Amino acid sequence: MQNKNNLINIKDLGINFGKASAVKQADMIIKQGQIMGLVGESGSGKSTLANAIIGLLPHAANIIGGTMDFEGRDMLKFTKNQWQELRGREISYVSQDPMSALNPTLRIGQLMVDIQYGSDDTNEVKLKCALDALEQVRMPNSKSRLDMYPHELSGGQKQRVCIAMAIMSRPKLLIADEITTSLDATLEVQIIKLLKELQSEIGCAMLFVTHHLTVVEALCDEVTVMYNGVIRETGSVQKVFSSPSDDYTKSLLLCDPARIQEKCRRLPVMSKLELKSISDPKMDKARIDLLAVPALSIDNLRVNFTKQRSLIDLLQRRPGMCIEAVKDATLSVAIGETVALVGESGSGKSTIARAVFRLVKAQGGRVLFDDADLLKATPHEMRAVRNRMSMMMQDPIGSLSPRTTIGAAVVEPYIISGQSSELNLGEEANRLLELVGLPSDFSNRYPHELSGGQARRVGVARALALNPKLVIADEPTAGLDVSIQGEVFNLLASLREKMKLSILIITHNLHVVRHLADRIVIIYQGQIVETGDTETIMSNPAHDYTKKLLAANLQAKY
Amino acid sequence: MIGYTVQRIGVAILIVLLATTALFVMIQFVPGDPANVMLGPRATPELKEALRERLHLNDPIYIQIYYFFLGLLQGDLGVDLTSNRPVTSIIAEQAPYTATLVISVLLVALMGIPIGTYAAVHRGGSFDQISGVVSVSIIAVPPIVIGLYLILLFAIQLRWLPAIGAGEGFWEIIKHLVLPTLAIGLTWIGYVSRLVRASVIEVLMQNHVKTARAFGIPENKILRRYVLRVALPATVTVLGVSIGFILSTDVIVEILFSRPGIGKLIYDAVISRNYPVVMGTVLAGTIFIVVATTLSDLLNVMLDPRSRKLNS
Amino acid sequence: MTTITVKPLTKFARILQIIRELCSSPLVVFSLVIVLLFFAVGITADYIAPYDPIKIDIRNKLSGPSWDHWLGTDQLGRDVLSRLIVGTKIALYLAVTSVSIALIIGIVLGMIAAFTNQWIDWALLLVFDTVKSFPGIMFALTIVALFGPSVNSIVVVIVFSTFPSYARLVRTQVMSLRNSEFIEAQRAMGSSLPRILRLHILPNVIGPVLIVASMDVPLVIGVEAGLSFLGLGVRPPTPSWGSILNDGFLFIRNTPWIVFAAGLPLILTTVAFTSLGESLRDILDPKLRK
Repeated sequence: MQNKNNLINIKDLGINFGKASAVKQADMIIKQGQIMGLVGESGSGKSTLANAIIGLLPHAANIIGGTMDFEGRDMLKFTKNQWQELRGREISYVSQDPMSALNPTLRIGQLMVDIQYGSDDTNEVKLKCALDALEQVRMPNSKSRLDMYPHELSGGQKQRVCIAMAIMSRPKLLIADEITTSLDATLEVQIIKLLKELQSEIGCAMLFVTHHLTVVEALCDEVTVMYNGVIRETGSVQKVFSSPSDDYTKSLLLCDPARIQEKCRRLPVMSKLELKSISDPKMDKARIDLLAVPALSIDNLRVNFTKQRSLIDLLQRRPGMCIEAVKDATLSVAIGETVALVGESGSGKSTIARAVFRLVKAQGGRVLFDDADLLKATPHEMRAVRNRMSMMMQDPIGSLSPRTTIGAAVVEPYIISGQSSELNLGEEANRLLELVGLPSDFSNRYPHELSGGQARRVGVARALALNPKLVIADEPTAGLDVSIQGEVFNLLASLREKMKLSILIITHNLHVVRHLADRIVIIYQGQIVETGDTETIMSNPAHDYTKKLLAANLQAKY
Repeated sequence: MIGYTVQRIGVAILIVLLATTALFVMIQFVPGDPANVMLGPRATPELKEALRERLHLNDPIYIQIYYFFLGLLQGDLGVDLTSNRPVTSIIAEQAPYTATLVISVLLVALMGIPIGTYAAVHRGGSFDQISGVVSVSIIAVPPIVIGLYLILLFAIQLRWLPAIGAGEGFWEIIKHLVLPTLAIGLTWIGYVSRLVRASVIEVLMQNHVKTARAFGIPENKILRRYVLRVALPATVTVLGVSIGFILSTDVIVEILFSRPGIGKLIYDAVISRNYPVVMGTVLAGTIFIVVATTLSDLLNVMLDPRSRKLNS
Repeated sequence: MTTITVKPLTKFARILQIIRELCSSPLVVFSLVIVLLFFAVGITADYIAPYDPIKIDIRNKLSGPSWDHWLGTDQLGRDVLSRLIVGTKIALYLAVTSVSIALIIGIVLGMIAAFTNQWIDWALLLVFDTVKSFPGIMFALTIVALFGPSVNSIVVVIVFSTFPSYARLVRTQVMSLRNSEFIEAQRAMGSSLPRILRLHILPNVIGPVLIVASMDVPLVIGVEAGLSFLGLGVRPPTPSWGSILNDGFLFIRNTPWIVFAAGLPLILTTVAFTSLGESLRDILDPKLRK
């Protein structure tokens, strides 16, 4: 019978937070052994739905209607005991942030034994079970890991432990809530591969919650698309991705920069779905002036970080631990050119940007800007430089002073450089906000009242206040939904066409970079491993690491 | 870990040295000639001069400090000006009374832990609200007022409990401990319970607790191993640091209840300008506080595995 | 995670919102009233006291509450109510002076510690820890032994015992702010250090410190009560809450109401300041909400 096959049957489910509705009339069916992808942008309600299935909704949430069945049993009527029996045994949950998911005061082995609290086996048997689970998730040195504390493991290893804990009891359903969002692309590939293998070994069903469309395509059989609490479309991955029937799904697929093959002038965004591809590549290249002196030239930059020495080290004259964050980096940005510095977390890319701005001390090398070596400039000279070069920082809301209004924030560069008396700051603020597409009444808002995308735009506005020659953008698309990434991209693209702006983008997002950057520089563990123009690198990577990076980011089939 | 311990102990010793020096310098400004006080007004000038020589009172300050530390290392804190007995033995006599009081206060304060935990787990409920109001009120009121009101009610109106002295014999001692302990301890129960409540609430919201629940681990086990184990170490540190305040309040309470102890000792010494005793007691108190703070710091580090050296 | 759109609020509206939240709890409203009363009585004390607080009237000594003397008289026939009212003046003076001085010293030292090199920071931390290691009352007794009992001795004692905690708090706050991204953005824009301090660090630091300071007012009042009770605080015949407690204690067996009456303003003000401070802190700390 069809019902026997349905592991999870959700009909018309509604979940509210106070008066605001997070999930409206949701229908979803997960069959045994099926891998279901739950896709949506932030605020779509996908995590709320996932939390509801394991019964871990936050206090403020109420289920206001509908039904939710597990193998025919009504979950909404479960008692506390029934939920306890279900969790960890028949339904398992792996959460997004592996860093904080493990109790820091317990060893891994103790944690994994705790989870088996229901069984009567002896401790040794339970530990053996834990060991087996660790082996199954391909954890290196699994025996010694059992004795370690969580803080002694890396992020990827912690995630493996969480997955191991989830599969230990051979659950019928595994819920993975954005488990790869905080991981680097190369790591994400490994985890996805692992999940696929585990699923075929154990035969459990999976609910994979994410906003990475490429991952869903690779991993899942079925997909459900959510927007604003409503389920817009559901069906097999093949069908939905190749011929979506719902408008939102269509726009979502269209707007994902990863699915756009040809390089384009403007990416489609939710509001404007047309793709503007580059018609005349020569005209596009014309904005780059390769004959003049490059706008920014970094030669053999070296940056080391020394750990603070404790009192004992000081007394024993032991030198502190030294980390070479940037080793011998050389790159340049021509006038009008957009160069992307691509690497994963910890590669040193942000450090290079900070060194250029003298926010961290460099131990060697030269940074040439406007015929001056920035590393040797006096503070007075640096002030003049900062008029012509600006930086957009990574955290959009965090890089704005919490007690300064947006209007005051965007004109701050004028005040700092002493040019404020000659201008009407209010008008300037409006002009800048308009430039980035924000209404002028945003002037009175505070940073915490903005969304991520809006705050990013404010960052762009502030960076452009003094009409700089060069902008360094640190992860401009990080943390943004896929559709909003396109908006930021379009903004930067239109600005550089208007202003002959040179841009150095620091990022790990190869998808947007493919469209925006003229040249790509790949950095790995502090060293630049490859440079070249975008098309060449994308189609014909030379270095091994570049190949790995490309495979992780772009390949749809694993 | 070992490195941190050594460093911490070194800092503690440094603090004691600094505190002692500061104290010594301050005492120098106390008016009055010690020789006069010790020998009485009828002593001859030669006798007084001889005494001054013996006590190094004519030497520059740093020499006096040096001799003081020398004596300190040998356990000699000087001599009581009025009774001529060594200060160390006077302190040793009075210390047990104070110690009993401090320990009973600590025990009473520990009751705040279950109260705070329960309030946190049943947040917003009637217990939480009532205990919240009561705690805040009690924390605010100065112990002296609490003590006086306790005396008014229990000693004078109801005549249930004694309000003077320390008592002899086990049960009498306990009876005499009740009101003084409550005078200091009520504040501390309130303080500890607020602290624990805030700590537990914060930990309850953390991801590893949610993960533990997602695996169906029963709530009381979660409370024990996942919440309290993470939330309590911070409380331990605060308690250790608060020993200073407990000692401070203890002085007043001893006077109020006419109990023997370090507090009464220093009070009498200050009134009679008996500066070796003042020095000695304040020093003893300081050392005690530094030891307590250092121990609680080290305990906190020991309890948190994150501070141990990474193997890989 | 639902996105709830937040309407932009002006500064004024935000303050109104805080006040509205504060007033939602009856305890807090009560505390606000008491605090305001404290300031009002303290400032106008000399004018509103019905009798001269130091006027001695032996014939009337130790009389209980009556229509003439609402709270009775003490052992020298002085009106207890008037003495309590004038005592408010002393309490107010102590609270304002000691906390302000300690705050200024603490903020300055804390900022210095946060911005200098490792050595000076270390040395300052050592100083803070050393000062904190002195048993409070014992130190107070020593100061009194040196300078004699007076209101200003109490100020010295309180400033000395409280500035290390303010300094440490400021230092921690500033150090964490210093590494935050918006400060980095300021530096990237070329903002000078004084400007960053003035516009971006100080406003973010003052809030928590002020709240902690307001919760130290009960401590100040308590220390005065304790010291005056020991006879080492305010010099007689000046009335202070603590000295009235002391007078009352001597006669507690026959005339308990003096102690009772003197305890009341102490309890009221200390509870009021503490609950006000705690509520403010809860409102302004997003972690503790809901």
